[in-house]
Amino acid sequence: MITKQNFERITDYIWQVPQNFRGDMRAPARLYASEELLEDALQDQSVEQLINTATLPGVVKYAISMPDIHQGYGFPIGGVVATQAPDGVISPGGVGYDINCGVRLLASHLRAEEIVRQIKDLATALYKNCPSGVGSEGSVPLNAKQLDDVLEQGSEWAVKNGYARRKDLQRTEEFGKMPGADAGAVSQRAKARGRDQLGTLGAGNHFIEVDHVAQVYDAQIAERLGLFSEQIVVQIHCGSRGLGHQVCTDYVNDFQRAVREYQIELPDRELVCAPLNSPEGQTYFQAMAASANFAFANRQVLAFHIRRSFEEVLAGIVKDFDLFQIYDIAHNMAKVEEHDIEGKRVKVCVHRKGATRAFGPGSDVLPDDLRDIGQPVLIPGSMGTASYVLIGTAASMAETFGSTCHGAGRVMSRAKAKKEVRGEKLREELAARGIVVRAGSMPGLAEEAPQAYKDVSRVVEVVHRAGIGRRVARLEPVAVIKG
Amino acid sequence: MPYNIRGVKFMAIKRFEEIPHTADWSFRAFGEDLRALFENAAHALFALQGARAREHAPEIARVVAVSAIDYEALLVNWLTELLWLQESQRETYARFHIEALSPTGLRAQVFGAPLAHLDKIIKAVTYHNLEIKQTAEGWQATIVVDV
Repeated sequence: MITKQNFERITDYIWQVPQNFRGDMRAPARLYASEELLEDALQDQSVEQLINTATLPGVVKYAISMPDIHQGYGFPIGGVVATQAPDGVISPGGVGYDINCGVRLLASHLRAEEIVRQIKDLATALYKNCPSGVGSEGSVPLNAKQLDDVLEQGSEWAVKNGYARRKDLQRTEEFGKMPGADAGAVSQRAKARGRDQLGTLGAGNHFIEVDHVAQVYDAQIAERLGLFSEQIVVQIHCGSRGLGHQVCTDYVNDFQRAVREYQIELPDRELVCAPLNSPEGQTYFQAMAASANFAFANRQVLAFHIRRSFEEVLAGIVKDFDLFQIYDIAHNMAKVEEHDIEGKRVKVCVHRKGATRAFGPGSDVLPDDLRDIGQPVLIPGSMGTASYVLIGTAASMAETFGSTCHGAGRVMSRAKAKKEVRGEKLREELAARGIVVRAGSMPGLAEEAPQAYKDVSRVVEVVHRAGIGRRVARLEPVAVIKG
Repeated sequence: MPYNIRGVKFMAIKRFEEIPHTADWSFRAFGEDLRALFENAAHALFALQGARAREHAPEIARVVAVSAIDYEALLVNWLTELLWLQESQRETYARFHIEALSPTGLRAQVFGAPLAHLDKIIKAVTYHNLEIKQTAEGWQATIVVDV
């Protein structure tokens, strides 16, 4: 049983479990949280899971978790672990099943008041044009060669095939194409699951949301990104669908043997891993990168359908219904990056499981027009609540391997949420607050009720005050589309 | 609780129970022996998803064979194989008959029908805190699935 007394308070927002807390820890474990969020985290197995990740061979500095930490499997959701490259480990469970689950933010040139009367039609068009829900099939069926191209080219494939603009890629993490992707490392079974799923939203906590910019905190950065007060913007939250799930399943299974071969002792079999430079580690990385490319292309095709929906509903009503891309970020990924550690430039494999890359100003992997301000970070809230746009900082580079939080973080089980909330009633409540909901499943809607999550504003407050992400703007929903 | 049919006493055996989990789903499956445990875990998988078969459809039978390094991995692979069949064949299964079971292999016949509806899809079966253990009543396993 872990209690608050087991933590050392490093700053107002950093709590640390020392390495000697458990004999198998290879580094301390750090949690970014307010006192209140720390207490929330102690309600389930999240902190134990965080401590488990500090046992991974090659872990550098400390295992980290963000204030949206909640119980996952293997890693906690909200976990960041960097391992020494090339001989530290890579863990498929440390990336998770929804490889490159992430968020894309598109922005219009419209103010909310200009399309008040069209919001319902817009929500209906988005629901109709963006396939969602259990077993949904996409509008872009792929043959074997085309799927391999998507896996190796990511958003580049979408540009070549008319689903993306070149400018979109400039505003996408990794420019929409993970290096090292190899379609040959993805099983036929995974490919079969992905073949008809490109351009689909899926179910669960994935969504498309039309928002308005409710508050601008940093006018200068907002202007540089193209954001302004009362602007209509659209968020897409989804990932690599069944293809990514199968890739993770395949490699977590394969790595059960690998840990025996490399004599790696772990407290949880979901943490299975192999040295990054081993044949197993390399093959997983190639498959993960390919799945990440599928997810980038998936969000890109959905963006295409969203642009089409705006045109369908708004052409002839407003002058400019175009949507441009603010940014697209991944929050389930492992990446080889260089970071400054104790005065040295060191190559590490950063696992972000429910955590977002948040590179600060000056990072040479950012596009020219963002390099001086840092990377935009997109933090979706729970359904019907606020979301945030942040910007990466020098402190995130120094403290958290250029990482910050990814969302609100659950506090209530899905079963309890379904018992306590009725989907239809929730939809009515949201409607009363001026939020239009289009959802395929009412029990699914109930599971994602706002009361099942932490208050995203408290989470963002912590990362902002801790300095590992700076607030730029707050978004409030006007329409939610769910599977 | 025992119940009585035509003078014969039966014990009501709980196949599985759901366990609270903050973000995903967790369940505990029970069985008087390992075969029953594996069969009941399969029942849990489809029940939790709210799977419904198409009405009046003829029964479909399939053979499932999986291998693994130990019983725990075998349980994950068995359930994963059933999820794969559900998605690729668009079917749901209601009866499971395990014909052969060893620590490294399983062969079963499963019976079902075309899938009409799922409330919720299970994305994957995880190894997190997975443990198969013997109890006074038989066997039990705790499984966390990603949804």
